Amino acid sequence: MTHSSDSVLVLGGGIAGMAAAQTLGDSNIQVHLAETADRLGGHAATWACMATDECRQCGACLADDMVHQTGCHSNISVHLNTTLDRLEKTKDGFTAHLTSGETVTPARIILATGFTPFDPSALSGLQFGRHDKVITTARLNQMLKAETLAGFLGNAPQPEIAFIQCVGSRNRTLDRDFCSQVCCKISLRHSDKLLHLLPDADITLFHMDLQTIGKETRCLAADLSTRITLAQGVPAEILTDPDTSRLRVIVEDPDTGARVAKTFDLVVLSIGMSPSEELNRMAGQLDVRPNLWGFFNTPDAALADGIHVAGCAAGPKDILGSRQEGWTAAAAVLKELRHDPAPKADILVWGDGHNADTIARTLAENGHTTVCFGRGAAVDGLTVLDPGRILSVDGTAGRFTVRYEQEGGRSTLTCRAIIAAPEPEYQTLAGQADLSGALDLTAFAGTPAGQLPEQTAILLDYAAPETKAGSRLALNKALEARNAGRKITVIMNKMLVHGAQGQQIYDQARKAGVKFLRYNIPEDIQIQKTDTGFSLTLKETTLPGTIVTLHCDQLVIPETSVPGPGIDNAARLLKQEKDREGFLQSPNVRHRLTQSPRKGIYFAGPAHDDVDHTDLAAELDGIMADLDFPGPAQHAGVEINQKKCAQCLTCLRICPHQAIFLNEKDRPEIVPNACFGCHLCVANCPALAIESASSALDQAAEEREKDQTVVLACQRSAALAAGPLTLPDPVRLISVPCASRAGVNLMLKLLVAGAAKVIVAGCHGGNCRSMNGSTRAREEVSRLLALPGIPPDKVTWHSVAANETQKLARIISDTRISSKDL
Amino acid sequence: METAILEKDTELSRLLNRLTQGDNIDECLTCGICNSRCTWFDQQGGPVPRQIVRMALLGLERELVDSRMLWDCLICNRCTQDCPMGIDMDQVVTKARGTAAAGDQIPEDISKGIKNRLELGDVNGLTKEEFVETVEWVAEEFADDMEDPNALILHDQPDCKFLYLPNPRELGINLMHLTAMAKLFYAMKETWTLSSNHTDVTNWGYFVGKTDVEEQIARRVVETAEALNIETLVLSECGHAYHVLNCRVEQLLGRKPGFNIVSMPELCLAYAKKGILKFDPEIHPYEIAYHDPCNIARKSGGYDAPRELLALCCQGVRELVPNREDGICCGGGGGMLQDSGTTKKRMSTGKPKADQMRATGLEHLATACLSCHRQLGELSTHYELGMKVDTVAGLASECLVLSH
Repeated sequence: MTHSSDSVLVLGGGIAGMAAAQTLGDSNIQVHLAETADRLGGHAATWACMATDECRQCGACLADDMVHQTGCHSNISVHLNTTLDRLEKTKDGFTAHLTSGETVTPARIILATGFTPFDPSALSGLQFGRHDKVITTARLNQMLKAETLAGFLGNAPQPEIAFIQCVGSRNRTLDRDFCSQVCCKISLRHSDKLLHLLPDADITLFHMDLQTIGKETRCLAADLSTRITLAQGVPAEILTDPDTSRLRVIVEDPDTGARVAKTFDLVVLSIGMSPSEELNRMAGQLDVRPNLWGFFNTPDAALADGIHVAGCAAGPKDILGSRQEGWTAAAAVLKELRHDPAPKADILVWGDGHNADTIARTLAENGHTTVCFGRGAAVDGLTVLDPGRILSVDGTAGRFTVRYEQEGGRSTLTCRAIIAAPEPEYQTLAGQADLSGALDLTAFAGTPAGQLPEQTAILLDYAAPETKAGSRLALNKALEARNAGRKITVIMNKMLVHGAQGQQIYDQARKAGVKFLRYNIPEDIQIQKTDTGFSLTLKETTLPGTIVTLHCDQLVIPETSVPGPGIDNAARLLKQEKDREGFLQSPNVRHRLTQSPRKGIYFAGPAHDDVDHTDLAAELDGIMADLDFPGPAQHAGVEINQKKCAQCLTCLRICPHQAIFLNEKDRPEIVPNACFGCHLCVANCPALAIESASSALDQAAEEREKDQTVVLACQRSAALAAGPLTLPDPVRLISVPCASRAGVNLMLKLLVAGAAKVIVAGCHGGNCRSMNGSTRAREEVSRLLALPGIPPDKVTWHSVAANETQKLARIISDTRISSKDL
Repeated sequence: METAILEKDTELSRLLNRLTQGDNIDECLTCGICNSRCTWFDQQGGPVPRQIVRMALLGLERELVDSRMLWDCLICNRCTQDCPMGIDMDQVVTKARGTAAAGDQIPEDISKGIKNRLELGDVNGLTKEEFVETVEWVAEEFADDMEDPNALILHDQPDCKFLYLPNPRELGINLMHLTAMAKLFYAMKETWTLSSNHTDVTNWGYFVGKTDVEEQIARRVVETAEALNIETLVLSECGHAYHVLNCRVEQLLGRKPGFNIVSMPELCLAYAKKGILKFDPEIHPYEIAYHDPCNIARKSGGYDAPRELLALCCQGVRELVPNREDGICCGGGGGMLQDSGTTKKRMSTGKPKADQMRATGLEHLATACLSCHRQLGELSTHYELGMKVDTVAGLASECLVLSH
């Protein structure tokens, strides 16, 4: 079926809107993307890169990449400075009058109006707008991006900086009883970045409950805990020291319990998210009914027929979550419009546990022929095979060959995609001496209300970090037990209130009389077994100097998930490196949340991150969107000239995407749709047998004019960063597919042709889409500099993300100044 | 370090958790916002609001009482003004003060005042006879001053339009203030009376958190006013009385009083708006700063009337920073001014206020509460601010234009 006449109106050109527009455009839908601002990219495009020595996975640079791609897309009409003026419902869709005067007739509408940062001037005690050193996270981002922060701080050598969390979040009296989900992560990254830029800065982060959601945030928080002060309790009043004009807040001294004054040079208000004003304005026209907060993330909110929502318009979320939702919304629209999905071919689900079961069943229900190497029951379209018997996985996207053992014999199956969802190990802590006799949270959750003991204590975050799923289960069960008349105490370091209604559930539990005790570190708790249960003695964080004792009949502790053999096995057979924490996750945000460096292979569930069942459903929707509507086949334009090929198989060995395989004639061949176009093979083929458009680079290098400064810029990072710059005449920028393309040979050619300086600029470590491209480029620069007669500043390497325009400008300017000095 | 055993069912936790949404301290989010907003600021000692709430909600009643924070608290509610769960600190602290465990901490002056108020109708122990004698003497003087035999100060007169409830200081140390108020009533050309049945505006039952005492005092006020068949009860400039009689009386008595309740500045403003009262701002040729009494402003919402009236009586009103919802307590709230042993402490708790006053660079300040008035005056002297402190109604009376 073809629907060339279908068009879709996407309202909002931020991350979610662009992601939706691209997916739709790739499926030949005409997209009208209306954006009220004079540029695409939304808030994300104003955010700074959070990389320190390496990428910190904030995803902000994706915005620039997406703006570039969206702008170039032939099926997307971008309407800037434009919004919806008037809407009429028609038989097949809508007639939308835009404020630009144009009228479009979309079959569907995707609302991706994003968010408005909370305006802290409503909270007068914070002095926002009255004292220039009280700023928001948004402003800090702008200053970091423009590299003006140090100057703003008067180049103070040891600035004292405070972050205040939850400004405009988690506040019932303001009708904002929700967690904005992203702010703690942002402030932790900001702290890390500030320490990178200003190593002697003294940073204090005031939080209500530090939301260490996700394994990387947990690790970052643990790392920062020794480098910054993490202080529980958020000041709501900032005073000005009348003598010095410095900012002063009163906080509780955690040791003495007395109130003390702390002074700061800068206070950053970590502001929450509000729905966009655009949405408020248009809700009536669109006939949609957001919830009390203005979002669509609770059951009481309602959309209208033909209207979908994605990104922060639906509810607060981060960049990667917004992008995933954009894809999913586009796929839903395509389904409604009966666009042909890709053939429902075989999908392999891999994982021995309930997450893999859920995934496999959902895929089968959606018409995918699915084989699950796991447990669970077979249903229509779903075959279940023993998980332990996969011998090898070969091939690439679209045609994987899986060899496995069954009933003594060996079999082979082919599949189009593989979803790896092995279960992590669940360790129970009840085995520890002082915890013997304690109950697992899952077992407690399964206890019928009538059989619950009189007094229960649930101990979170004790011997292993708290997880989303653990905190939610603890809250729900505590509330249930309390409502059944039991006394419940939750002992915690912090409460994770992730998810749309996390805060409301926590509020309900307290209101119902569940008691919450806080402790700082596990050493602050002593646990003793008694005749009737347990006796716990702890230093209560909110009552410094007081030790409280609690008796309970039952002590409950959540299990913890750690990487296990299932994950190891999957990583080995799928030829994927495990991440720092030992899980299956691409280090690169371009592939996240669920994709991998190898096309057609996906990671889902707790195998890759702290994922609860709500996240899993969203991940699965994202994967199915990609399976159903993958867009046109990509062709990276890289081919092996078989006449020149010496069959050394270097290419096959080094391809980071397993996009090269041996064909029937035992010759290497590139699978176009699996190739990411990094050109690592082009740069490394000893026979110069791999050809592509970028082969012209070498030719171009020889034609450079003398005395030019040449920037070899990775096209996904530094070249995008250079986009807005007007380069002065003696500077030439050469865009390369990956920084690794800047090999010694190419650089030498440039120098021989008379280049004054060569700057090689590419992704931050960990953010190369082809994994090691930037590491390789750095090594190549070192190799070149090791040659005799090359001065050390002749060729330099710099990490420049797509959103680091100012940084690139500075690098170019500094390089030129130093060449003038010579 | 002391070890406290969590006792869930203490008198205090039962009292507090019976309260409705917003006052149910179980809901405390432990966000710590209150700690940063206490007006003791970084003065030595003083209460730590979150510790008060946490001790109360965890049933650590003994620890709370022993912490001595209950009577250091000014119950100004500034700390919980921004509470995300809507908890009111005055509820927590007054209820804690009212528990048996805290009984021996009630300042002697306050216990004595309450006893006097319940037995005689006056915190200072003025008897009915003394009251009548004083009022009649002031009335004579007033008629002479006004040169009008119809310039009356009546007591126990039924069917008047207004019953005026004076501050005890107006019957003792500050009789001039009573005369000043009488002048305003006179200019309104309305009938008004005092009552010898209860002679002052205070209700210290609120400070000690004893709802039964608070209710008895409030009931006596209400029932007397109803017996006199007045139309409107006019409150002298008094913060806690304003709060109790405007915001708490209905809950205390279980019914609405059968009359209106306004404060003297509110009444004056209403009559000025009607064109009946006229003021000559040239009498006060200066700009004036205004101090929000916590009980009237933050705790009862009475922000505007005193400012509007002052604007008619002076050359403009300057705001202290911060003000209104974020206003800083004078440092004498919560019963501290009523306890004669606190003078030194009050100069410390009042320092943030003194700093605010100094920052205005002005020589005049007004407020709408006689307790704040006294404290602010003492602060001006102690910190050598050179600021003259007046009450709003007092200033209005001074610049009243009498038409004959």
